[in-house]
Amino acid sequence: MKKTSVPTETYYSTNLSSDLFRLTPLLPVSLENALGFDAATILKQVEPETKSLILDCRKMGSYDSYFVIFYAALEKFCLANNIQFSAEGVTVDMKEFLRLFGSKNDLKTEIKKQSFFVNYLNQIGNHTINILKDTRDFIEFIGELILKMLNLIVNPTQIRWRDFPLHFTKAGVNALPIVLLIVFLIGVISGYQGAALLSQVGAEIYIADAVGISITRELGPLMTAILIAGRSGSAFTAEIGTMKVSEEIDALNTMGFDHIKFLVLPRVFAVMIAMPILTLMADLAGILGGLLTAITALDLTITGYLNQLQSTLSYWDVFTGVGKSIFFGFLVAAVGCFRGLQVRGGAESVGKFTTTSVVTSILLIIIADAVFTFVFQTLGI
Amino acid sequence: MEQKPIIQLKNVTVKYGDRTILDNVTTDIMPGEIFVIVGGSGCGKSVLLRQIIGLEQPAEGQVIIDGQDFGATTGEARRQILRKFGVMFQSNGLFASMTLAENIELVLEEYTHLNSSERDEVIEMNLRSVGLGGFRNFTPAEVSGGMRKRAALARAMALNPSILCFDEPSSGLDPVTAASLDKLIKNLNSVLGATMIVVTHDLESIMSISDRILMLDTKVKGILATGTAEELKNYTKDPNVFNFFNRIA
Ligand SMILES: Nc1ncnc2c1ncn2[C@@H]1O[C@H](COP(=O)(O)OP(=O)(O)OP(=O)(O)O)[C@@H](O)[C@H]1O
Ligand SMILES: [Mg+2]
Repeated sequence: MKKTSVPTETYYSTNLSSDLFRLTPLLPVSLENALGFDAATILKQVEPETKSLILDCRKMGSYDSYFVIFYAALEKFCLANNIQFSAEGVTVDMKEFLRLFGSKNDLKTEIKKQSFFVNYLNQIGNHTINILKDTRDFIEFIGELILKMLNLIVNPTQIRWRDFPLHFTKAGVNALPIVLLIVFLIGVISGYQGAALLSQVGAEIYIADAVGISITRELGPLMTAILIAGRSGSAFTAEIGTMKVSEEIDALNTMGFDHIKFLVLPRVFAVMIAMPILTLMADLAGILGGLLTAITALDLTITGYLNQLQSTLSYWDVFTGVGKSIFFGFLVAAVGCFRGLQVRGGAESVGKFTTTSVVTSILLIIIADAVFTFVFQTLGI
Repeated sequence: MEQKPIIQLKNVTVKYGDRTILDNVTTDIMPGEIFVIVGGSGCGKSVLLRQIIGLEQPAEGQVIIDGQDFGATTGEARRQILRKFGVMFQSNGLFASMTLAENIELVLEEYTHLNSSERDEVIEMNLRSVGLGGFRNFTPAEVSGGMRKRAALARAMALNPSILCFDEPSSGLDPVTAASLDKLIKNLNSVLGATMIVVTHDLESIMSISDRILMLDTKVKGILATGTAEELKNYTKDPNVFNFFNRIA
């Protein structure tokens, strides 16, 4: 924006006699004219011997919220310099306006001015505290969840199984096409990566080992979990968050329902059961992807690939992958519901927590996977 | 005739973080009365209601329902207290994924031993009583705001609770619908004999339905005044009360 210097006379007139300063705005004291009514500039004209300042409001016509700011600035200056401040020609409406906008109520938030550095440190501190709190809350939530899941062994009718098929369909069946496609492509891609290397040493047939093991042990469960985090974890957060905002959860609780049993557990079970099934199918798709590469890029035969696969791939490889996937499923659903229950306030909060939900799930999945890999390594499984 | 209060608030103090919202609120609510909670926006009306219906536990003090300390009960005892309540929330709290009928059926299933056809009858009856006879298979999204409010009322009444709570029943309604809702509340009160706790801003409805009024205030963080509508209209001890009830800005 261009800052034009404006001739002051058009905005106001001043009249300075020995100890009296009279300021008469001639144009509306409004946001639009703020430049012309810069209090600091005007007050420069006040002499040290000035005893009183009069703001004459008779000629200014209209005004808006800037008038309140301007008025307050004059008032403050006069108070600080021991000058008597008064305003003339203030209408009843103006007074009401000043009172409404200018009233210094006791609830006014203090705006602290701090150096950038202190602010920065403060933010880091606050952030750390929030993360720690969040972690503690999540661990508490997981604890409650596990307790209530164990409780079900004694009393399996306590949760709302009626919603289970719906959640299973949404989280499992509907996710199948995308999961199959993605893991199939991952199989193709990792096949090509391996092919380039293996053909250099004339060990083309080991493509079956490379693809088979990496898909069943790692990529199958991992990719499935990440996809489910994006599809179902986020959906859980949004659904439960919306219910939170519209007081549906409160309503549930006052009706004597436990929202964990009613909303969370059916979702957790749906994902925990869907995940291993999806992972098994994803393993198959990935292996087929590898097969495609083997016959197109490496001129292997289908039987050759499958025979090799059969001789290297053990049940255990598939087992660990599927086992992990159940745990990933638990994590995704738990995080999704946890974030949903954290929603406070309005709709924008739902969006925020949905994003956090996906990020948290994926982070936890990867961390868990790293731990699994480490443990399996050490145990030599 | 000395009656025992159905709800007693004893020195209820509510804090969120360091912020005290309500400080030392003590009052009794008598069975069968229409008890109205008023006060400016943000003074803690909804918060007080949440303490009464057991959604939150006060930082200090007790909420006593029918002689039982609500906060100290667990399990079945708590369930029995919750069953006494019917609540209509500020944003109605209907389950969006269910039809109006299913919304009501849920509570009936949980607390009664009615069979499916009996439940159906009760649902139909409840919906008809709030003028929603033909709408049982509509979801909340498919009906208007006023109809949602009434559906929420039907759900709150489903178990014939002895305490019905309303958080701003008439907010967002046109004056005619609001007035008819007031009439409905008044009717239900005389028919069911239930205790009603109504949070509202609406002066007209306060005047027409209230037996007793509790006025909260942000500055005192608690009760500014209590009394009947007539009493508060002539309340001269505090200009805020007088102005509120005589509609002076
Ligand atoms: N969960 C919460 N966490 C923190 N502060 C809260 C919470 N709930 C309410 N508050 C605060 O408590 C105060 C009272 O809120 P409350 O919802 O009771 O207002 P109200 O009297 O019902 O107002 P309205 O008429 O606008 O509904 C508000 O200042 C609000 O910021
Ligand atoms: Mg409220």
